[in-house]
This record gives sequence, C-alpha cells and structure tokens, in this order.
Amino acid sequence: MKTPLTCTVNAEERTVLADTRDTLLELLRERLGLTGTKEGCSNGNCGTCTVLIDGEPVNACLLLALEAPGRAITTIEALSGGERLHPIQQALVDHGGTQCGFCTPGIVLSAKALLDANPRPTEAEIRHAIAGNLCRCTGYGKIVEAIAAVAAAAAPGR
Amino acid sequence: MAQHPAELKVVGKRLPRVDARERVTGEAVYPADLDLPGMVHAKLLRSAHAHARILRIDTSRAEALKGVLAVVTAADFPELPVGTTIPMGELGYDMWMVAQINLARHKVHWVGQPVAGIAAIDAHVAQAALALIEVDYEPLTPVLDIAAAMAPDAPILHEHVFTKGVEPRPRAPSNVCSRVVIARGDTARALGEAAATAQASVKVDTAHQGYLEPQVVVAQVDANGFATVWASTQGQFTAELMIARMLGLPQSKLKVVPLEIGGGFGGKISIHGEAVAVRLAQKCRRPVKLVFTREEVLQGGSGPAAAALIDIAVGADRDGRLVAIDGTYRLDAGGLPGLSPSLVMQASAALYQCPNLNLQGFDVVTNKPRTEAYRGPVGIQAYFAMEQAMDALCQQLGMDPLEFRKRNASVTGSTMPIGTPFPAIGLTTILERVGEHPCWTDPLPEGRYPRGRGLALGYWRGTSMTSAAHITIAGDGRPMVTMGPVDLSGTRTTMAQVVAEEFGLPIEDIHIETGDSKSVGYSDGAAGSRVARTTTAALVEACADALGQLRKRAAEKLQCAPHEVDYAEGRFLARQAGGAAISLSELMQATLTDGAIVGRGVSTKLPLGVEIGAHVCDVEVDTDTGLVTVLRYTAFQDVGLALNPAAVEGQIEGSVVQGLGWALMEGFDYGPDGRLRNASLLDYRMPTALDVPKIDCVIVETPVPGVPYGVRGVGEVPIVPPAAAVANAIARATGVRVWHMPMTPERVLRALRG
Repeated sequence: MKTPLTCTVNAEERTVLADTRDTLLELLRERLGLTGTKEGCSNGNCGTCTVLIDGEPVNACLLLALEAPGRAITTIEALSGGERLHPIQQALVDHGGTQCGFCTPGIVLSAKALLDANPRPTEAEIRHAIAGNLCRCTGYGKIVEAIAAVAAAAAPGR
Repeated sequence: MAQHPAELKVVGKRLPRVDARERVTGEAVYPADLDLPGMVHAKLLRSAHAHARILRIDTSRAEALKGVLAVVTAADFPELPVGTTIPMGELGYDMWMVAQINLARHKVHWVGQPVAGIAAIDAHVAQAALALIEVDYEPLTPVLDIAAAMAPDAPILHEHVFTKGVEPRPRAPSNVCSRVVIARGDTARALGEAAATAQASVKVDTAHQGYLEPQVVVAQVDANGFATVWASTQGQFTAELMIARMLGLPQSKLKVVPLEIGGGFGGKISIHGEAVAVRLAQKCRRPVKLVFTREEVLQGGSGPAAAALIDIAVGADRDGRLVAIDGTYRLDAGGLPGLSPSLVMQASAALYQCPNLNLQGFDVVTNKPRTEAYRGPVGIQAYFAMEQAMDALCQQLGMDPLEFRKRNASVTGSTMPIGTPFPAIGLTTILERVGEHPCWTDPLPEGRYPRGRGLALGYWRGTSMTSAAHITIAGDGRPMVTMGPVDLSGTRTTMAQVVAEEFGLPIEDIHIETGDSKSVGYSDGAAGSRVARTTTAALVEACADALGQLRKRAAEKLQCAPHEVDYAEGRFLARQAGGAAISLSELMQATLTDGAIVGRGVSTKLPLGVEIGAHVCDVEVDTDTGLVTVLRYTAFQDVGLALNPAAVEGQIEGSVVQGLGWALMEGFDYGPDGRLRNASLLDYRMPTALDVPKIDCVIVETPVPGVPYGVRGVGEVPIVPPAAAVANAIARATGVRVWHMPMTPERVLRALRG
C-alpha cells in the first residue's frame, strides 16, 4: 500500500509516495534517488547505510520510512558543496582511506557524527565510532589515520 | 621507458586514487544504483534442501499473481553438457557448473542453490510470488563434510565424476573429483632418519570473501534482441562468455558493462544469476534488476572459500636443515567440483629448499555451496598447517624460527616443487629485513595474560593471463585510456601513473576507464594478482604504439624524418640544431582531420611475478576466556616495484585483516541438514575497527626480469601467512597449538584446558 509522506532530507522538505513496507533506506535510495547511501545487509550489521538522524548515526535499513517525518535526515549527498569536499572526505582521499568505496559514505557519516560531538577523539574513540561500519578492503588503518588527521587539523596545538 | 626507480617521475609515487572523489561523495555508480525506465525486479527461488532430486517445478500459480511478469527455470535454458568450457581462471570454468550455480537442473546440491527466477513489478511482489512456485523434491542423504564424502559408502553427488589422477581410471563414480601427487626423493625414509620431526593436522572451516556489496545485475534487452548487462563483476569478458553460453546467445548480441564493484576478492569471477536476469528481461521485455540479499550471499547464493583438512609432517637434520616435507591436502569444494589442489600444494612447499617431498591432494565435493576463489585460494588454509609444522619443528630443534627460515629459504634459482628453478625472488632480503626490524627485535612487553610472538611466511604464485588496452589521443593532446581489466585494487590509479610516466605527462593529464566487453580487447578477469602487472605491459605497448603514430605526424609537421624527432614531456622536437618543436596539443589540433590516433597494447604471456611475504605478529591470550588479541602486526613483502606505495599498503593491510578475520572469528557453521546457521553479518563476524591493530607494512623491491617496471603481484599473498602467524604466536604465548581455524575463544579455551 502506498502513502504520501513528507520528510526533511538534507535540509530540504520532500514529499513522496512511499510503500508502507519501505525502510528509510528504500525511501532514500528508491523514492528519492539518493543512492550514495548503500545497502550491504538490510539487517543493521554492516553500516553501509549509515545516515545521520538529528545528527546521530543510524542504520537506515532499520527504520521504516514512516518514521522519517519530523526528523532531520542527513545523507552523504549533503556533505560536499560543489568542488569542495568535506574535510573528512578530503582526508580519506589523501590518506588512501577508500578502496572499493562501498563502505565509504557510511564511514564518512559516522566520522562526522563523532567529530561534531568530539572534535579531538583518541584513536580508540575513532575506532569505536566506526566499529559499526564494516570495511573489507582497507583493514581500517588508513581510515583511522584520515579521521585523526582531520581532528588534528581542526584543533591544532591542543 | 624509464626503468631505474630514481628516474621515475610518476610511477612509484604515493598518489591519491584518481577515482577517490566519487567514492567519498557517494557518486560512484554501482549496479544497484541504476534505475532504468520501466525497470522491474527479480528474485530467485532457492533450494531448502542440501541434496535432492527435482521431480517437478510448477510455476503456474506464481505466474498468475498480479504483478508477476515472467518466471524462468532451468527448462528455459539450453542444457549444457558436462565438459563445456570457456577459457579463464584458476578454477577453470566448466559451463555445466556455471549453469548449476545460476539455476539447478535435475538435482540440487546445496541449500540456497537457485531453482527458479521471477520478475515482477516490484521486489515485494517478486518476493511474494516465490512462495507460489511449487517444487517437488525427492530428498537425498546430504554429505556434509570431507570425511563423510570420502567414505567408501558415501552417497554420490555426481554420477559423472570419476576421480581424475588415478590409474587405471576408476570404474565407479566418486566424491573425490581429482587426486594430485607431487613427489621427489624418499620422504618416508628421510623423515625416519631425521634428527627432529614435527606434525600439523589442521581443520579449516569455510569462510566467505565478505565483499560488502551483494551480487547485483541489471539486464536490458532492446527491440533487436541486443542485451546489455550492468554487472558487479571481476571480469566483464568472462561474464559475457558465461551469459552467452548459458543463453545460447551469440556474443555479438550481448555486452557486459562493469560498473563499480563493491569488493570481489574472487567471489565475483563467476556469474550468479546474470544469465537468469537476461532471460527474464527477454521474456518480459522490460529491464530487470536482480539484487541478492546478504542472507542469499551467505546462504548458498555465492561461493565461499574451501574448507580443508590438511596434514603436514616435516623433518630436519641436526643442523636445522630441512630434509623432508610430507603433506596431505583434502579440500572441500562444496557442491560442484573445484580447484585442482596442485597449485596450493606447490605454493605451500615453495619457500623451503627441501630434497624430499611427498604431497598428495584431493578435491572433494560435499552438499554445501560450491566454493569459489578467495584471495590466494586455499593459501591461508595450507600455510596454517605448513607454517605451524615448521614452527613446531623449530621448537623441537630449539632453534630460532627466523634463523631456521634463513637456513632453509628458497633463493633465486632453487628448485620449485614442480621441478623448475625459481626466477628472481627476494626471500633472503625479506628475512634480513625481519631480523633488523623492531617488530622482531623489540622485547615483547608484559601483559595481564600470556603474550607471544609468531612468525610465518607466505608464498603465492599468481598468474598473468591476458590484458588489453588502447589509448586514443584527445584533440588537446591528452591520452584517453580504455583498459580491459576492471579496477578492484586501485588499477585506474596505478595504470594512469604508468601512462603518465610513459608519456612524460602529469597524472592529471591522463583520463582512464575500464571498457565494457565490446569497447576494448578481451581481457581476463581481475584475479590472481595479475592485473597491475599484465596491464602495465599492455599499456607500455599501447603508449609506444600511440607515440609512434604521433611521431610520424610530428615529423611531417616539423619537416624531417620520424627518426630525427625526439619526444619528451608532451613535446616533439626536431633534432637538428635550432630544431622546431610541436606540442601534443598543437599536433592534435593541426591534424584533427587526419583520423584517430589509437595506440593498442595486449599482454598475454608475461613472466610470473611470484609473491612472497613474511609476517610477524604479537598476541595476548586471555586464558580465562580464550580470546586472542592481536597487539602488533608487521607484514614484509617483496612487490618487485611499488607502482604506488599507498595502494600497495592498502592491499597488504586489507588482505592481512581478512586473514586475521578467518584466523580468529570467521567460520561457517552448518547444521546437520546442510543449512548455514550463521547467515548474517551479525553471526558471521568479520573484523571491525576494534578487532585489529594498525597493520605495519615493510615493502621490499626485487624486480621481476622481463616485466615492465619489474612489478610483482601484490594483493593475494598477504592473506596467506596471518592465520599461521597468529597460531605460532599463540603457541609461543601458551605452549598450546590450536589446530582448528578459526581459532575462536571457545577453541582456544578447549586447547588450553587440554
């Protein structure tokens, strides 16, 4: 059954016709065409569908689309403006923190949530923040390095 | 061509990936991201039985459901006889088997094997329609492990399989598909006379490649019957051949477009439903998208890696010289015949000079998902046994494990297990570097629980096969590269570096992409650590070809003979005193109407670039829970020449972490009915950022003669040593060896409690 639904995605109000069985992930990818959010397991285990809801990282596959109204949803598409990458994105480029790229949007958003709340995290805190995002290519080292570099650049001398 | 590393300007530099931006912004397009006008969605009905005869399939109720557009079963495809093959691959693709992976015919051989496909207006309807397909099965007794499959009275999976490698040819079919023997000298006698001996008998559970992107395909058939397939594949040409053979479609009626691939690691060489999607698209005349769920990927939808039972016995003389290796390798291929054990038998014994060898291997079928390649297929399993046996031998001898390796290491020219001499290898250099490195010389800090340091070597042969590429020159003089191999490991970046180097241009001037199966010459899949090496060779040839054509045009413009023109850094220069010059850009603008410049290159018989690594690992073993924590990990590897050190480290670090995952946590748990009990990424645990330390890499460069830039394979060998390195560290920490992989806390605890 389809139902109209209005939600705020990347600071834009969007109204779509959604299937009541749709997850938030399906709403984003299939109804709104925001395909930067990936689907790796549909079970909340891999983190590839991580988006921010009111600033908190959430697996979009675990929410129903019907739960979206009234919340501010941020997807990877909102992070970079034009030519300029978000510092986390730029650091992942510079440090070799992306390989196949399938986990990368989720990692970027988990890292953003971390740095927004804790601008100068320890390595352990960085690892903890991305522990919900599986990456099968990098072994995590270069991702952790990249996030640490963003923190170091943002808070010099501390 | 510049060959000396000191002269290189772009090759060998630590440059960011040329395709990194679209990855970090989410703009990179994977097949699941495609949405075509009128597109419909497919689902596969999968077998709930591990072993059964299919008596009848009735799809009429499913077809009658509103929203269902097409249903297919094996009856919709030509029946391919056993032995129909296509070229490619370490696993040797038999099309009868590929057909079984896509849709079962007559029998099912594992839980999750597809038996029918449905296309419907949306995925919800397709899912609902699956339940309406009626399949009558005659259940047969499943054979679920190697020992059961090899038992004399075992139920037979395939009546047409007679053990290969046995003389005279057996009269009865068998679950042992092939037997391989590699022997020299008198191993039994040498072991009997050895001053010290050690044994390792290991069991390795099945693990999965674990790529984060499940299999996806989108298929579209146009009004003239031409099919376009957008796939997540390691090889668009292999996929095209497979789809064409399965459908009985001429290859000129089909192209496969490889989009971004969210990891493959060997699991996306074969097709898994692509042919079904095309048949559905032909039937319903709409574009069809088929996306596997994670549960499907794990529960029989795409092949995991082989389980194994391996026994190794080794012996040495009083001086610590290895005298004999005896090995028995039993590999569980799953529901269809698998890899010949030969390669891995050779690989596991390759790094030691040893006069007596007796290796015997068996490829065995069981009623579990047909296994597929996983990064250096079966290397980690074999080295888990071999390097534990060597380490135990060192303990018997009272000898330092590094010293033992130095004393027995293969060197350039030593005899490989197959009897031919080793080409240039840098094992001696690697071992020297280990001995000087803090990871080996630093004392192990005390911890709450016992700690140990393990050393293990690894070898992988890799392959070369075929890569093709061509380079056209844009109107502004810049090279536009189209290559055959898909990019699994940063290939676009390293290959752009090669072209930039050959043209003497900055990397920003190079445009590079992977072609579809109709836009570039046949290339084998991205597998076997072959792509960077073989594609480098193809591109060096293509660059020379393009520059040769440009030189002729330049000579005409500069009014001299082609041999009187020099080329450097984007400019042709007439050699005579005060000679005129013309840039690539000026030349192309001046000759736009003279036809295309197309430089072509292909590499088919490149010398192998064998891979060798040595890993050092520190662990702490929680003796209360059995939990093993990896504290420090250093991987040494000879890469010939690192085209891009950041990319090389990325391959090594990722590969090691996959190895650590299998070593400590990843294992398939099958129930007595052959159903996988941990078919989710919660229950099948892969390492998270919290489970592994930073992996340190030490790169050694011993160039391969006869290969442009001397490049070796990189990506496979780093997964080979980790399980053995961890096991040896556990043994050094606790005095106990864990013979069953993964070495879960439960298994470690059992071993500790004897």
